[in-house]
Amino acid sequence: MNTNQLRQRLSPRIERSRFVLRSAKMAVSSCVLVIAALTAHAATPQSTVTVDFRFFPGLGMMDGNWAALKAASDGKVYVGLACHGCDGHLVYYDSGNDKMVDVGGLNELTGEAGLGLGPQSKIHAKFGEGTDGRIYYATHGGWWFDYARFATPEGYPGSHYMAYDPKSGKVVDFGIGPRFEGMNTGAYDPKFNRIYGLTHPRGHFVYYDVTTGAKVDKGRINNWDSICRTLGIDGQGNVYGSFGAGRIFRYDPRTDNITELSARIPIRQKGISLGRDYDKSETGWRVVVWDQETKKFYGVEESASTLFSFDPSAPLDSQVKTLGSMCIPKFGSSRNVPYATLSLTLGRDRKLYYAAAGAEFDYGGGADVAASHLITYNLRTGKIDDLGEMRLPDGRPVVGTNSADTGPDGTIYFVGAVSPDDVKSSADYGGKINGVPFRLALFIFHPKKD
Amino acid sequence: MRLKLFLLIAVVLSCSIAAIGQRNRDYDAVVVKQTRIDARDLGYPPIDVIPDGESGITSLAVAPNGALYGATSGAHAHLFAMNPRQGYVRPLGVIPNATLVVNALAISASGDIYIGASPSGHILKYSPAGEQDKQTEIATLLPVKDMGQPIAGETISTLICDPSANMIYGLSAPNAHFFSYSIDSGKFTDLGIIAQSIPAGERFERDKTVSRMLVVDQHGDIFASGENGSFFRFDPRTQKMDKLAIQAPAVPGREPWTCVDAFLLDPSGMIYGGTSDGYLFRLDPVKLTVTNLGKPLNQYGINGLVRAPSGRLYGMGGDKDEMARLFSYDPATGAYDVLGFVDVNRRPYYTWQADVIGAMVSDSDGTIYIGENERISKLYLFYPAQ
Repeated sequence: MNTNQLRQRLSPRIERSRFVLRSAKMAVSSCVLVIAALTAHAATPQSTVTVDFRFFPGLGMMDGNWAALKAASDGKVYVGLACHGCDGHLVYYDSGNDKMVDVGGLNELTGEAGLGLGPQSKIHAKFGEGTDGRIYYATHGGWWFDYARFATPEGYPGSHYMAYDPKSGKVVDFGIGPRFEGMNTGAYDPKFNRIYGLTHPRGHFVYYDVTTGAKVDKGRINNWDSICRTLGIDGQGNVYGSFGAGRIFRYDPRTDNITELSARIPIRQKGISLGRDYDKSETGWRVVVWDQETKKFYGVEESASTLFSFDPSAPLDSQVKTLGSMCIPKFGSSRNVPYATLSLTLGRDRKLYYAAAGAEFDYGGGADVAASHLITYNLRTGKIDDLGEMRLPDGRPVVGTNSADTGPDGTIYFVGAVSPDDVKSSADYGGKINGVPFRLALFIFHPKKD
Repeated sequence: MRLKLFLLIAVVLSCSIAAIGQRNRDYDAVVVKQTRIDARDLGYPPIDVIPDGESGITSLAVAPNGALYGATSGAHAHLFAMNPRQGYVRPLGVIPNATLVVNALAISASGDIYIGASPSGHILKYSPAGEQDKQTEIATLLPVKDMGQPIAGETISTLICDPSANMIYGLSAPNAHFFSYSIDSGKFTDLGIIAQSIPAGERFERDKTVSRMLVVDQHGDIFASGENGSFFRFDPRTQKMDKLAIQAPAVPGREPWTCVDAFLLDPSGMIYGGTSDGYLFRLDPVKLTVTNLGKPLNQYGINGLVRAPSGRLYGMGGDKDEMARLFSYDPATGAYDVLGFVDVNRRPYYTWQADVIGAMVSDSDGTIYIGENERISKLYLFYPAQ
């Protein structure tokens, strides 16, 4: 898709309702969204917010990062770097020593290098930290070729469940979980010592029980083109995800059952003018984080960047509440809010930090180069603030991110794209956004103390 | 230089598409043409619909009056119906004591539905009456009459009805008994075992290899595949089961693990079938010859085979770990067409792709019904070109 096509897809069209039965509900939801946008939108932004950054040395050609960012308890910040058609990498930033370490290429770490298989190109899901200090994750494929190579000898062999042990510096490979499929989405639960995931392309909910070694497939949740991008885990170890038209499912590890809840998140009805009608058949949350203090999830809906809370223990009719909009204020309640990012984290200061895209952003699939904004939501006051454009100390804009996490000292980390220092060869950048080269970087933000 | 520029642009564009990681218009070329396919939920969402986890369609059959009946498998098995004139799926109720009904709906000439329920292993009779006037309530038990268990201790792996003889035939699991049930007398008869042993394999392989369907030919003989991929024929006149000297097509050496996934009786009298390895074949039930017609796909399995009024055959290929594709075969020319994934793209109303197919049937109007067998499953309607 080129930029003109994308712009064409973003042109205003008449929104069509999905089901007549839902029209009334959607009208109510729309009103709620508009009211929320008018009353709870971000305050006037400051001009910029300065973030520090670190490149990934020797890995300039890495072309994306989605969700795979973990600021661990020991101060190391783990990052999964993607490389379509090649080896993704597991790296970590040692914040104590200000040092970036490349643990290795995923093909090497999974023992698949040189086999002529579809490469382990990504860690495309969240890392988790076990009570044993290990960092748990699962791998993902890169190219899918319209699934013409699915389940073929040259195709992608399947996602590996893995762990990195910081004590030994070694990676443990638990083997392939879902055959031929990647781990599109994932979450680790230290309580039950399990790696959970949603597979791509078949959208199955799966898990690996680290203690028992069991690999379980609980069946299909999503259509391939709209697999839920964040699994949330509550304090009891229940796992939540979105499916269908704003619906939520819950997996209970005690019963090993999936329940489809009646609660619905505040989705915006899709239309051609959203530009992504052809990309997403379901509508759900983009990202959620669990707050142990309020025992609620806070999340951002994917289409209009609507912020909501989800209280699993509340009465059925009040589990989900709309809190406002996390998009950049200039987009307001317009149709063309850039697709929500995965960059949401809860700070130690009781604020949600969200890096909102300045233009439709997906690394090489981005529409244009535009600075991300850092948006916060104060859980104590309910106030949304736009802290301004995210820029490096030298003024370069952060042109998009898709992961976030909070370090033990309250530092906020993001991974995303920025223009490279220098481009001498194709190894110096991961791709181009509207013709402009970008390179991946770890962004570091130190919140001011109130 | 231009070539390099072109390649660079192509790489950048393809990177863009992959990075989004979602549907793009290229995908339209790898799915069934959208004017020829549609999908139905199994009921009236969000309440009166067969629940996810119970909606895997594993049996489909068309009644003499043209109505489609289907059975699901999952935490509970359900029976549903569709009147083609109305075009929507009506859940009829939960099948008692059943979690699996696999290729096991047999409809008699009178229109009674015989359900091979597993794990109970009983045959249940459902007599349609006033379905259109009943309130749909998903948790309601289907009113059935228990006709008994054909083989003690065994479940039912497939059923078929010979309406002209008022007989039902079936296979049991795990021990591969071939049995009959007389609708007139209500009598079960154990007619023998078509697979004596589990083929050599890995320790996790514990099933005998028998066909997943049966077929009744124009003379009333019943065909099955059994151990070593061999065909068996039951002659109702002599009440004799014969192991034939013909086998389902297989790569030499793979016969022990080969079975027939799908059978189809053609009006020409020929029997067509698809094997677990994905071969299509033609069996001449008179000459007792088998012709290997090749593989339409580089995938395992043919999980359904039907005939359109044009004479063309349509089938679904793909194993449970794969992504199913629809193909057609023209007996007149021997040509295959690969039609692509079963994907229905009705934005903004509904969109879904079937990865695993559990059943397939066609009606006299030429509509082909394709049943998805996953945790969330739909019924697909395919309208072949005439």
